[in-house]
Amino acid sequence: MGRKLQFEIFRFNPQDPLSVPRMQTYFLEETDKMTLYIALNRLREEQDPSLIFDFCCRAGICGACAMVINGRPGLACQTQTKDQPAKIILHPLPVFKLIGDLSVDTGVWFREMYNKTESWIHTNKVIDPHQQEERMENEVAEQIYELERCIECGCCIAACGTARMRDDFMGAAALNRIARFMVDPRDERSEDDFFEVIGTDAGIFGCMGLLGCEDVCPKQLPLQNQLGYLRRKMGITAVKQLVPALGKIKLDKLKIGKFIPGGDK
Amino acid sequence: MAVNATMHVARPGRRDACLDWLQMLSGASLVLFMWCHMILVSSVIISPKVMDAIAWFFEATYMAQLGGPVIGIVFLFHFILAARKIPFTSYEQKTIWEHAKMMMHRDTWLWVVQAVTAMIVLIMGGIHMWVVLNDLPITAMKSAARMQQTGWTIFYLILLPMVELHVSIGFYRILVKWGVISNKTRPLAKRGEYLLLATFLFIGFLTIIRFLTLAIH
Ligand code: HEM
Ligand code: SF4
Ligand code: SF4
Ligand code: FES
Repeated sequence: MGRKLQFEIFRFNPQDPLSVPRMQTYFLEETDKMTLYIALNRLREEQDPSLIFDFCCRAGICGACAMVINGRPGLACQTQTKDQPAKIILHPLPVFKLIGDLSVDTGVWFREMYNKTESWIHTNKVIDPHQQEERMENEVAEQIYELERCIECGCCIAACGTARMRDDFMGAAALNRIARFMVDPRDERSEDDFFEVIGTDAGIFGCMGLLGCEDVCPKQLPLQNQLGYLRRKMGITAVKQLVPALGKIKLDKLKIGKFIPGGDK
Repeated sequence: MAVNATMHVARPGRRDACLDWLQMLSGASLVLFMWCHMILVSSVIISPKVMDAIAWFFEATYMAQLGGPVIGIVFLFHFILAARKIPFTSYEQKTIWEHAKMMMHRDTWLWVVQAVTAMIVLIMGGIHMWVVLNDLPITAMKSAARMQQTGWTIFYLILLPMVELHVSIGFYRILVKWGVISNKTRPLAKRGEYLLLATFLFIGFLTIIRFLTLAIH
């Protein structure tokens, strides 16, 4: 027989004028290989059909099921109950707009973020769709892919003290997006162009190095390395703009302006 | 991230980048200063004469008379820069406090410790600098006499850990923020940070004990 799990779940439906924010207790017997995805679905089916939460892929791919699990943002579908204490406290992700109970709207936030970072390849080349694609160094392709793995779950934003205090802070997911396009040789944006997007306290200079993002990202993206890389790169870009003579120095040749690949954790 | 408001049309500029550089550089120079400071003061453990000799050197080269106020200015300058990040409004304080409690995450707590110790260091460090620089030259005897008054004993027993916490966390976070520490070297760097903190606290407390046991003549 499994453990008896006690769930404390945040309940509030902003659509319902009678609803007040509260914690509600549920009990459930633990089964083999139980994830929070299984547990929440059983609670909804067997005990409380009004419970609101999001799921889609149940395989750590869509990012819909992110929530605060015993204080840490994470994916419910990737969290096994056996790794948690018998009392499991669930909250919706902070920062994002609450839809109800454990469900938040990350879509609007990420949409806005993509607009802000202009998250697409900027090029003046005219691409002929009938031609074969241009080749790219395998190493570069892998670096891009490493950063492209973000599933937009929003955990890194909810785990960031800066993002919680400062409404205008872009957060690690956005900065990681920029790093991704910096690595991409097809993007013709210059350092100065990127500086315009993230060279402020709402961008890279707002990051205080708390590393909540790094420690919660369920896809283990190398966020810490990207943030350090961007701060150096953008810091140096500002100095170069102030002292144009330094502009001739190719920083990529020095180790200092180099991309740090992910590395294992 | 604000999704629905434009307070003013953003104009690209280098202000935040420059302020961030200056914040880092002022913090780093204060860390360097604090290490030199530790060498001067802890030399009393070896002998009050050594401390007097070092202090005399600073005096004779006018480094104390000039350097003291310069450090004071850097200290204030660093405060003004870092204050951009300190949660001053009750809303921000509540947010970061709730956040730290929710996350139970070491680096987030370290930042809270850094912000809290900052405010204590600002007040107590200011008092300390004022008192010492108004009573030049620095001698081991004068320092010992001051430290042996109960009020000052308590004062320094509080100030020492506050400064050392702020300095070692600050040093670690400069390296993290500017990407010197990568995710691979972070566990090692974290241990280095604690070692640094422990070493300086040890030397610092030893110094205080030495001052307290020094015979005044
Ligand atoms: C003994 C004097 C001091 C030393 C050695 C020192 C050192 C440092 C260092 C090395 C940093 C890291 C800099 C960075 O992250 O860019 C830092 C950050 C900070 N300092 Fe100080 N500091 C001192 C005094 C103060 C004072 C008086 C305040 C008063 C408010 C203060 C407030 C802060 C804050 C809030 C941060 C964090 C900034 C951030 O997270 O971005 N410090 N300090
Ligand atoms: S490292 Fe920067 S982006 Fe990541 S949680 Fe900390 S402040 Fe936020
Ligand atoms: S960077 Fe990681 S934590 Fe942040 S949204 Fe992407 S997958 Fe989620
Ligand atoms: S349901 Fe898709 S990531 Fe959890």
